[in-house]
Amino acid sequence: MLVRTPLIDRRDFLRAAGAGFAAAMAPRAWAETLATDAVFATAFVRRDGSFGAAVLSEAGKILHTLDLPDRGHDVTFDPVAKRSVVFARQPGTFAVVFDHTGREKPLTIASVAGRHFFGHGVFSSDGALLYATENDFDNAVGVVGVYDARTKFSRIGEFPTYGMGPHELLLLGDGRTLAIANGGIETHPDFGRAELNLATMKPSYTLVDRITGDLIEKHELPPALHQLSIRHMDRDQAGTVWFGCQYRGSATDRPALVGRAARGKELELLEMPQDVLSGFRNYIGSVAANPGTGTVAVTSPEGNSLAVIDAASGRVIATKSLVDVCGLAPDGAGFMATTGAGEIVGGAGSTRAEPDYVWDNHVLRIAAAG
Amino acid sequence: MFNRRAAALALPFLLAAALPTQAAVKASDVVGRAIDGFVRPAYASLDDHAGTLTQAMRQLCNAPSQQNLDAARTEFSATVEAWSVAEIIGFGPVKENDRLERMLYWPDRKSIGLRQVQSTLAAKDPSAADPAQLAGKSVAMQGLGALEYVLFGDGAETLANKDDPYRCAYGAAVASNIQAIAGEVREAWSKPDGFVSLWANPGPKNPLYRDGTEAVTELVGVFINELEMIREVRLKGFLGAKPGADKPKQAIYWRSQNTLNSLAGNLSGIDKLFQVSKLGDALPADARWMAESIHIQLTNGVATAKSVTGPIDKALADPAPRDKLEHLALITSSLSTLFGTRMTAEFGLTAGFSSLDGD
Repeated sequence: MLVRTPLIDRRDFLRAAGAGFAAAMAPRAWAETLATDAVFATAFVRRDGSFGAAVLSEAGKILHTLDLPDRGHDVTFDPVAKRSVVFARQPGTFAVVFDHTGREKPLTIASVAGRHFFGHGVFSSDGALLYATENDFDNAVGVVGVYDARTKFSRIGEFPTYGMGPHELLLLGDGRTLAIANGGIETHPDFGRAELNLATMKPSYTLVDRITGDLIEKHELPPALHQLSIRHMDRDQAGTVWFGCQYRGSATDRPALVGRAARGKELELLEMPQDVLSGFRNYIGSVAANPGTGTVAVTSPEGNSLAVIDAASGRVIATKSLVDVCGLAPDGAGFMATTGAGEIVGGAGSTRAEPDYVWDNHVLRIAAAG
Repeated sequence: MFNRRAAALALPFLLAAALPTQAAVKASDVVGRAIDGFVRPAYASLDDHAGTLTQAMRQLCNAPSQQNLDAARTEFSATVEAWSVAEIIGFGPVKENDRLERMLYWPDRKSIGLRQVQSTLAAKDPSAADPAQLAGKSVAMQGLGALEYVLFGDGAETLANKDDPYRCAYGAAVASNIQAIAGEVREAWSKPDGFVSLWANPGPKNPLYRDGTEAVTELVGVFINELEMIREVRLKGFLGAKPGADKPKQAIYWRSQNTLNSLAGNLSGIDKLFQVSKLGDALPADARWMAESIHIQLTNGVATAKSVTGPIDKALADPAPRDKLEHLALITSSLSTLFGTRMTAEFGLTAGFSSLDGD
């Protein structure tokens, strides 16, 4: 249950507080307000070119911002200690742990030598360990970096993702298995974001035991679809993992872009109506499930489109055209969506415009629905 | 205030939402000029150069001599320059059948291509000297990088005498394969149907470009993406943050001393494409300075690139040419801002561009 607290204007607050968490701790009263009202977190680029992460209210109002040294990507959340972590976008070398109430100072995690982050991570259920997808770039293999939240996020080890170019990872319902989307694309920080192996790329979906680091399952797409990079995922109400892909082959090809993975079964690609598929421009930027309604949504910033799928039947039940839409999070009976044009569209359809902000690819719910 | 409004109304792409039909017509004019004035001639020139290169390789194989080796090397450099102009159009036909990677497998960070070429030369594999069979082998063995090693790598001097006919035969097959790829791309762009009709005719039923804005976005994306590629991948791939961090052997075409020739080709291609498409004409009067500034900076960039000559490791070791490389990086940064931030804002295309570099 969400207790509503009157909000002071965010601009007044930001002016009063300075540049954000890094500059000043939130006053106690405001911290309490944040604790109750903070519902979403997302990375952003300001129109002036600076970078940060924002905490948003249920209504999509900006409650607080945190400066970042470079562009961020996804945010993950530990519901036990109520800490969020925003990861640098690949090939970034930092992640920032922050308390959305502003009580605690943010903590920066630097990637170790020979590794960089891919922009995604996940906590263990007890919040003790943080797992991040990373690039062992000299060997061109993906690894999961393991960080101990109890010792200021010191890096205590790593294990392979059993693939190249890992992107999003999820913790499955057993609390022990990590599902990892290995995008299959080789990159090296010497060459920025250039994709080095498009002719031979081989994406995969792996399940890895987070305790032992052992491979449990590995699935690849058929050879004809070797350029279909598996990137983003979420888990539906039945525990099935839904994934969204980006196709690196010819723009005139129209491969399926959304699929699902049930444990012990082969990957299943979803057939979609041609006009919906065509509208994605071979690029899915985000996947989110709404367990309450049994739906999964996918977005395409390239195609300016959003589609909602009934998870049980796999049928597309709604589509929406929205310029540069990417961020997605379950919101009431629908999904909150954020865009590169600064829009925040709530699950019930309300729209807020924040023209100073380019919302980055992902938005995360950091509180249970009210 | 009044001027601002008037300027906005003059923008064809900004009108897209209100008047899609009219905007589509104007967008297709811009795209049509880009295809006729740049894409077609650029790929035709590449095909022509690749043909001359193939002939020069055959001549070298038939009559090995230093003179014929020099001639083949000269044609190689000319083909690299032609490709560097054309490669900025990295979508459409060149994206099919791995043509892009077959034409240029780079960077070869793990020396995969190098090892494959070296072992092919050592084994004298006859199938690799047959262009038809070569086209089905590893992409790293069949393009400009492979031919550069044949012509400029260890042992290349043997091409001037009769000692290593296999090396020459393999090189001729690579040249022939490059010509075949260039010919396919040229033909695909010359057809009035196919990709050309898609790009030049946006509309609701078009599977790739639903309106004029999307068609123009593809063009604007060329400028934005290629400038980033030149700076972040090609230039900063070998130019370190400080002199001690330079990696000359990570420079594209370092063996043939074509690194800067190639960067100049990329920039001159961008300049030509921008000029012939007349995209700048779509800017409002008070923003026309951008088009002039873009042209001046691209010209400056081409001249700066061409002023750095000789082996890239020597250029990096000498402060004066190294400063020029840093200056070149600055020029591309400034151009990226002009295209990616200011011009897209004038066209109302800003929103679409955070997705171009998305994850």
